Amino acid sequence: MNSQDLTSTFRIFVMIAGLMTISACASNEPGCPSPQTRNLDSAISFVKTSLNSGCEAHFDRYYDDLLTIAEGDPKPENKRIFSEFLLWSGDQGLLSTRQAQEYYNRFFNVKFMSMKGDYNNCSHTCPNKQRVLFDMERELSDKERGLLRVSEDRDGYYRADRLYQEVELVLEATCTACAASR
Amino acid sequence: MNNKRPLAIAADPARRQATLGLLLAGTLLIFAQSVLANTPTIRLFPTTVVEDLKQTGNVARDMETGLQEVIGRLDQQQQLYVESKCDGAENDAGCQRLARQIGATYLDMLTIMEERLPDMEHTVNNTRISLERGLRNELGKKMTPWQLQETLIGKTATSTPAQSSPTLRGRSGMRLSERFRQYYQLVATSGSQSDQSLAVLASDIYLDMEETSVLIERTRQEIARATLMEQLNQSFGIITPEMMEVVGGVKTILFGDEDARALVAGPPPGSVEQAYRSPLEQ
Repeated sequence: MNSQDLTSTFRIFVMIAGLMTISACASNEPGCPSPQTRNLDSAISFVKTSLNSGCEAHFDRYYDDLLTIAEGDPKPENKRIFSEFLLWSGDQGLLSTRQAQEYYNRFFNVKFMSMKGDYNNCSHTCPNKQRVLFDMERELSDKERGLLRVSEDRDGYYRADRLYQEVELVLEATCTACAASR
Repeated sequence: MNNKRPLAIAADPARRQATLGLLLAGTLLIFAQSVLANTPTIRLFPTTVVEDLKQTGNVARDMETGLQEVIGRLDQQQQLYVESKCDGAENDAGCQRLARQIGATYLDMLTIMEERLPDMEHTVNNTRISLERGLRNELGKKMTPWQLQETLIGKTATSTPAQSSPTLRGRSGMRLSERFRQYYQLVATSGSQSDQSLAVLASDIYLDMEETSVLIERTRQEIARATLMEQLNQSFGIITPEMMEVVGGVKTILFGDEDARALVAGPPPGSVEQAYRSPLEQ
């Protein structure tokens, strides 16, 4: 083996080692770890510090972590805690008002954010009925998490579930009526 | 001579300002009250729909009354046919006579249906068209998806009582006339119901009318075909399995399916207590 071969083998080895290091960093993310505590207030303090220390790109993961921690100690009070955390995120410029509303309402409100739009139902909702219902179904599982498992708001969750069924029925009828005029 | 007194508010600027403020507040209050009083409610049930539902219920009852006797007779004849061990003995003269009698009763049933169905079709279509117009205009064209959602959920999302829901999903197991009678009662008393209940009720009835309309149309086409077939069969004294199937189908539609039970949504479990409202809530 000559010296040129040895050099190219060494280069390949260095590249592989470099790639392995990068991928290891990406999976462990030592700079932005998840909160380890099971206490929601402490976890929120931890997340706030992390978000203010350059981890704002991990907002989604942190929000998910906080929901998981809150599931361990479900209570109606949690709604307010999450609302205040989202308002704080808005004040810090981490989220826009719309984003904060989306994060809150998707999990803690009976109404569906997937059922929004500025145009009438015949022209906007009916052509996309299946997609709207699919999105609502996914949102309903988020509401199950937020309303039922985090906030213990059974009444709210069952109302959301019924609202989904009512929307399904009413949209079916309304869209049939809209289509009949064409 | 000019007896008119200058307006008191013109004398003192401070008083004038206060009076104008009061006037403005009063005007705003009156305006707000009139806006609240005139809050548009969705118009999904014009009086014609109420009348059409009543009429459809009457036509359905007449049809049931007319058919009940014929179907009862058919059942008896079929029982006699089975008890006489005619299955597999079709060439027996007595069995052929019984089969012709059954066929004739079957023709009677088809004739009664043929006579009554056009009225039924007419009233069902009228109801369907009226509801269709209402749903398209009130929910389809005048509302955004968010407004529709707000209508369904009511003014306060957390305090909607479950018992106000008039949902009638799962309509089998009920006589046709009973079904329309229930619809009529719900619609006739719709003034006392909230918009969210009306939207669900109108959708439910409309989809049912749509289904019934298609079913009637198909049945009318089938009756013409079945009548011709049975007239041919009369000469041979044959009971076809299709004949029994049609009779079974008519019984289910008109008198309900004994196995099925109407599903009515129950109240959601859990407490009504709900205090916190986030400023982010929409």
